[in-house]
Parts: sequence; C-alpha cells; structure tokens
Amino acid sequence: MIKNLTFGLIIGILFSQLSLAQNHIDSLFLKINLKFRDNFLELNKNYISKNDTLKISLLKFYLSGIEIEYNDKTKFVLQKKHHLIDIENSNSLLVPVCKKNDKIISKLNFNIGNDSLVSISGANSGDLDPQKGMYWAWQSGYINLKIEGKSNSCKTRKNAFQFHIGGYMQPNYALRNISINCNSIDDINLIVDFSKLFDTIYLKEKNTIIIPGKEAMQLADLSKNMFQLE
Amino acid sequence: MLFSWIAISFGFFWLNTTPIYFDVPKGYPKPVYDFKNNPLTEEGFQLGRNLFYDPILSKDTTISCASCHLQQTGFTHVDHELSHGIDGKIGTRNSLTLQNLAWAKNFMWDGGVNHLDVQAIAPISSELEMNETLENVVAKLGKSSKYQKLFKEAFGTNKITGQLILKAISQFVLMLKTFNSKYDKVIRNVDKFTEMEQKGYDLFKINCASCHKEPLLTNNSFENNGLIIDETLNDFGRMKITQLSKDSLKFKVPTLRNIEFTFPYMHDGRFKTLTEVVKHYNSGIQKNKTLSKQLQKSMDLSDNERTEIVAFLKTLTDKEFLFNPRFSYPKKNN
Repeated sequence: MIKNLTFGLIIGILFSQLSLAQNHIDSLFLKINLKFRDNFLELNKNYISKNDTLKISLLKFYLSGIEIEYNDKTKFVLQKKHHLIDIENSNSLLVPVCKKNDKIISKLNFNIGNDSLVSISGANSGDLDPQKGMYWAWQSGYINLKIEGKSNSCKTRKNAFQFHIGGYMQPNYALRNISINCNSIDDINLIVDFSKLFDTIYLKEKNTIIIPGKEAMQLADLSKNMFQLE
Repeated sequence: MLFSWIAISFGFFWLNTTPIYFDVPKGYPKPVYDFKNNPLTEEGFQLGRNLFYDPILSKDTTISCASCHLQQTGFTHVDHELSHGIDGKIGTRNSLTLQNLAWAKNFMWDGGVNHLDVQAIAPISSELEMNETLENVVAKLGKSSKYQKLFKEAFGTNKITGQLILKAISQFVLMLKTFNSKYDKVIRNVDKFTEMEQKGYDLFKINCASCHKEPLLTNNSFENNGLIIDETLNDFGRMKITQLSKDSLKFKVPTLRNIEFTFPYMHDGRFKTLTEVVKHYNSGIQKNKTLSKQLQKSMDLSDNERTEIVAFLKTLTDKEFLFNPRFSYPKKNN
C-alpha cells in the first residue's frame, strides 16, 4: 500500500515538474511596470510631482483576485489569489497567468489589496506570511499598499512620508476593485504610474497615513488612478 | 530540483509527530480557536514553549514573552503598573494574563488583534517591547541549529517561516488552560466554600457575573467600567480600533482567574489590591456616556460584603496551573 502510494507520488511529482517547465515556456504573463510618468520607477531617485520633489525608498502592494475575461465571455481566474508586488523583488513583477492561447482578452480584473477574509484568518503563508512586513501588529489586518520615502515638503522627522494603506472592517475597508478593458492575445503590460497618485496630493499636508480610516480610504481611492494598460 | 521535491515529500511521510488531544474541561463551552488549521502536537507545543521563553525574539536578545508573562502570576507581570520592554522602555498598558486563550475571541485590551495566531506580532514589533521584525526573527532562528531541529520535528521542514513561528507560539499558549481552582472544584462538587466564600460567591453572581461570566469569568466583551481617565496616558481603549465614539473608554473584560496573583489591576495597572478594585466598583464609578449598563446602579455593599467578595475571588486561584512544570522554562528533561 505504502509502496503504491510512494510510487504514485513520484509519478505525480514527475508530471507536475514537467508541466511546470512547460508552463514557463507557454505562459501568458501579467507584467507589472512600476513607473513615474514615462520612466521606470527606481528607489531613492528624485521625482517631481505637480506639488513636490520626492524619493521613494520602499514600495510594496498586494494584487489579489486576478482574472481575465475573453471576448467570448469566458473567464480565467488565477489560482494563486494573493500576489505581493515588491519593487525590490523582480520576480514579483512577472505574474504567470495562464497558458497562451489564441483567444482575445477583453478585460483584466483585479483588486488592490487583500480581502477581509484573509485578514481574519490568522497567520497565512507565502506572499501572505506576516514576515513580509505587510501585516499590522497592534491591530490585525493586511497593509494593502505601503509606500515610504522622503520629501523636503514633509515637515516630519527626517522629512519622511509613510503611507500604509489598509483596513478590513467596514466602513474603512480599503480593498479596491479595478477592471480595465483590454484587447490582446499576448502578455499583458500593466502600468502602475505613481505620479498619478503623487500629483493629486500635497506631501506638506498629507504625509503620514498609517492606520485604517477616512484618510486611508481616500488614498485607496486615489491609488486606483495609477493602474492602466500599456 | 526534482530530487529536492522528492526529498521534501518523503520528509512529509516521515514526519512523526505526537498529536495532543485538546481536552475541554467539564462545563466549559466549545473553544473559539479552530484547531483544524493548527493541529496541536507535542513537538509543536515544545517548539512554542522554547520560543515563548527565548529572548531571541527581541532585537537585542533581552526580552522574551515570559518577561511580561510570568507563569506564577497567571502569565502576566507584577509589581509595575505598565509593561516594561526593551532598553528599559515602558509601555502604555498593563500586560494581560494568558489563560484559557482557546476561548478568547479577540486579543489585547482594545481587541485590536482578531486571531491568536497573529497576536505575537504585536509585542515582537512594538518599539517599546521587543522592537524586532518577524522577518529578522525568521533569519535569526534560521541560523540556530537548535531551532532548525525543533522546527523539523514539529512541522517537518527546516524552512522556518513567520507563519510557523506564530503557529508554534499559539500551540504553547493554547495549552495554558486553568480549570482546577477551588471554585472549579466546588462547582464539580468535590470541595466546599467556607461560609464567607459562599457569601462572596452569591454577591459575585448578583453584582459581577454578567460581565465576568462563568465559567471563563469573562464574556469576551468590551466595557467602560467607570475609571477616571489617566491624563498622562489618554487611552480611550476600543475606540482606537473601531474609531466609533460609542467605544470610547471601553476595554476588554479580563478573566478573573488567578486574580489573587495578577496584580496590579485594570488596563493601566492603577489598583494594587483587590480591596481597591472592589471599592472602585462599589463607590468609585465615574459616570459618563459610554459607562457599562451594568454599572449604572451603585452596588451599595457593606464593608463585610466587600471582604466576602474578595474571599470568593481568591478561590479562583489554580495552583496546579501556576506551578505546572509543563508550562515553565523548558529545561532538558521536562
């Protein structure tokens, strides 16, 4: 019995390995391009928004519930639900979606942040592991979007700004849905342009949002404007 | 790659853990904690126990969980009003006891933490407590052969993660059950209250038990118990979490188990003795908008009656729990 199980297991692993390798060749990817206007965003480099000059030193956010709709009205939902996008982890910027095929993708849907369910389910693993620094301590729940940096506009300690945007309880549930029209059969290039966010705020006035609440909700709304397809 | 997969799979087959059956004491309700997602094992419990007593969790290896949660005092600290942390820093609240946590719905005085498994993140990352990151703890434990062995035994993997650290700590604290006080024995008809304790119990049932509900001696809710606000702290409790004014000045109703040894009392440790506590409820209630319904009417207890309540409260002491070697600092042979 155990012999059979072991044998089955080995065969299973072999096949999963083969299919994994195959996937890498044939996969359709969601490529995430972090930008500030026309340039690729780099850490600790000066950028100029409409209102401020700023440097970003840390940038992480969650995308969840990624799905694509085809123009024949069928849908493909990614099995891996939660993706931590981290500017310092280039692997995270390339999300394998599904096998390439010749159907035309008409829509890309996803959420910025994690749903409330995972915020009440204790210690999770993988991208959701609290060691990733995206889990609040004094109050439970995930940080959906974390941006830290410096700007002379901020009259704070070391001119720092900190945005830790999250919140899983109503009325401060900070998850945001995005749905973007698309027309492609190939890899999807998602642009996340942070100038769209920084152009709409004054760092002099808004520089520290680190708890769920009204301000976090506003910033979550604004963050939706950053996402577009190439 | 392929070989490593096979090795991992075999490791799983060879994982030989000793399951722990979580006994629910007679008369206790069904636990809140979902054990399916974190099945208790002897190996997981021992790993959690080692972590609990190990200052490696703090930035400079000076503070362990046990620094503020001592077994002999119901797993809380004594003597000082507010908890002490790293570099002699002082926190903003009196540490809570760790007892019967399998039945707790939320954690901390303000209920900000919603699941036992994520509770430990708070003290680890608080600048005033351990001032460390979970990421760093993972890295430090990964360099320790002792912990590599313990994680392997408990979870069948050398790969230490934040999730596994937290689950192991939960396994230890879940086992901190207290149910063998004199009070419990009286309820089970194997002991008898003295006349004074019995009178105290009768008064307790009328005046205290609606919040400090038997048998856990808490109803897991948040109440404003009429304390004058300490202006050096300006702690509004639950409101910080919910941002609702109806929660202003509300704090967790703590369990009263082992209350004789868990002094000082209240979220800011303002009362040193049980006599002061009972006095407060009897005649010190500060009325305001969010005051608990149960405290609107004054208790009007006589001096004798107050003494009787204190006598009853002392029957909640469970020495078997406070001195159980299984919960103490892990030495080699126990």
